[in-house]
Order: sequence, then C-alpha cells, then structure tokens
Amino acid sequence: MVLAGLVASVTRGVLSRVQIPVNLQQSGLQAVGAAGSLSIWRSFAKGTYLDKNEVTDRVLNVVKHFEKVDENKVNPSVNFQRDLGLDSLDTVEVVMAFEEEFGVEIPDAEAEKILSTNEAIEYIASHPQAK
Amino acid sequence: MPGTAEVRSLYRAFLRESVKFPNYNIREYVKRRATTGFRQHATEKDTAVLDSLRQQAQADLEVVKRQAIVYHLYSRKQKSVMDIPLATMLEEQAAAAPYSQSSS
Repeated sequence: MVLAGLVASVTRGVLSRVQIPVNLQQSGLQAVGAAGSLSIWRSFAKGTYLDKNEVTDRVLNVVKHFEKVDENKVNPSVNFQRDLGLDSLDTVEVVMAFEEEFGVEIPDAEAEKILSTNEAIEYIASHPQAK
Repeated sequence: MPGTAEVRSLYRAFLRESVKFPNYNIREYVKRRATTGFRQHATEKDTAVLDSLRQQAQADLEVVKRQAIVYHLYSRKQKSVMDIPLATMLEEQAAAAPYSQSSS
C-alpha cells in the first residue's frame, strides 16, 4: 500500500516535470530558442581580450596591495624579486593573486615565467578568458 | 637549485586547494598554515630534510584535497560573517529591522 502510494507520487512528480518542456515546445519555444541559443553561442565564441591599459592598471593595483610591497616602487616594468625584494614564495602568491583578480587559472609552466609586472601584463592581455 | 620549481608548484597547489573550502575559518587556516609551513623551511639546505619535507607536504596536500571535498559535503548554507560584503550585510539588517523612524 505504502509502496503503491510512493510509486504513484513519484510518477506524478515525474509527469509534472515532463510536462513543462512539452508545453514550451507548443507555445513560444521557437522564438525563445532562436534568441537564446544565439546569445549563448556568442558568449562562448567571443574571445574577450582585455584592454592592455586596463590590465596594466589592475595588475599594478594587485601588486601594490601585496603586503610586503612598497607601492611607490611599483611600475609597469618592475621585477618582483630584483626590484621589489620579494622571494620565490612571494612571487607564487602574487601570481595566485593575479589568477584571482582576472578569474583565470595560470598553469605551472606559465606561472614560473611570470617574474615581473611586465610579463604578467603580457600574459593576461593575451589570455582570451581573462575578465 | 634543483627541485625548487617542484616546491613552488606544491605551494601553488596548497593555495589553489585552500580557496575550495566553503568555510571561511578553514579556508584561511589552510592558506595561513601553508604560508607559514613553507616559510619556516625556506632556507633549508639539507637535501635529506628537504626530501622528507617534500614527502610530508605531498601527503598533507592529499589530506587538504580530501578535506576540501568532505567540507563541501557538510557545508552549511549560512555563510560566515566574514564572507558577506559589509554593504550587503547592512542592507539586510536595515531591511530586517523591526523599528523604523516613526517609533520614538
């Protein structure tokens, strides 16, 4: 008895879910589908390279806000270890901060090459997913 | 020096894992612990010690990865107060406040 009730309620639940797309198909799905798929497609297809000036500003801002950095020394071509006195562990943290700021994941091999603000700006400006 | 790239990669892996914790306290603790741990032995030269530290770090990283998943399974919907932007919090408090300017 309990089992039968359960089956019935599950069936009802499934049916009520299935009905929604069927209804959609009969009514305005075509119009919605055309516009919807276009906008989805666009968001995937567009390579959104960021403006280099904007990247520069944001990269410098990240570096300036790093706790061990004297912000007066920061400029677009400063080397983290030679000019800012950071060590290799700090450099890892700075690169992680860039990842967070621009919403990208920088693979190890690339992260190892980013040793100055200049290299960071170049990398992010040429990264299509940076935002 | 050989192996420093591997150490940096390990440190990066710890920091990457730390952000996955839903709980503010644990997230910040893992980050802080990784930073202090790597700093503590930053000047270590003895290769035997370095080897054992590296193995320890790798084992710990596995623990962190596993715990990130476990914490996700049992995470609470309610966020820590540290995770809520101040403006949002003030707005919510203002909206929920039972008293208004009309009361004395």
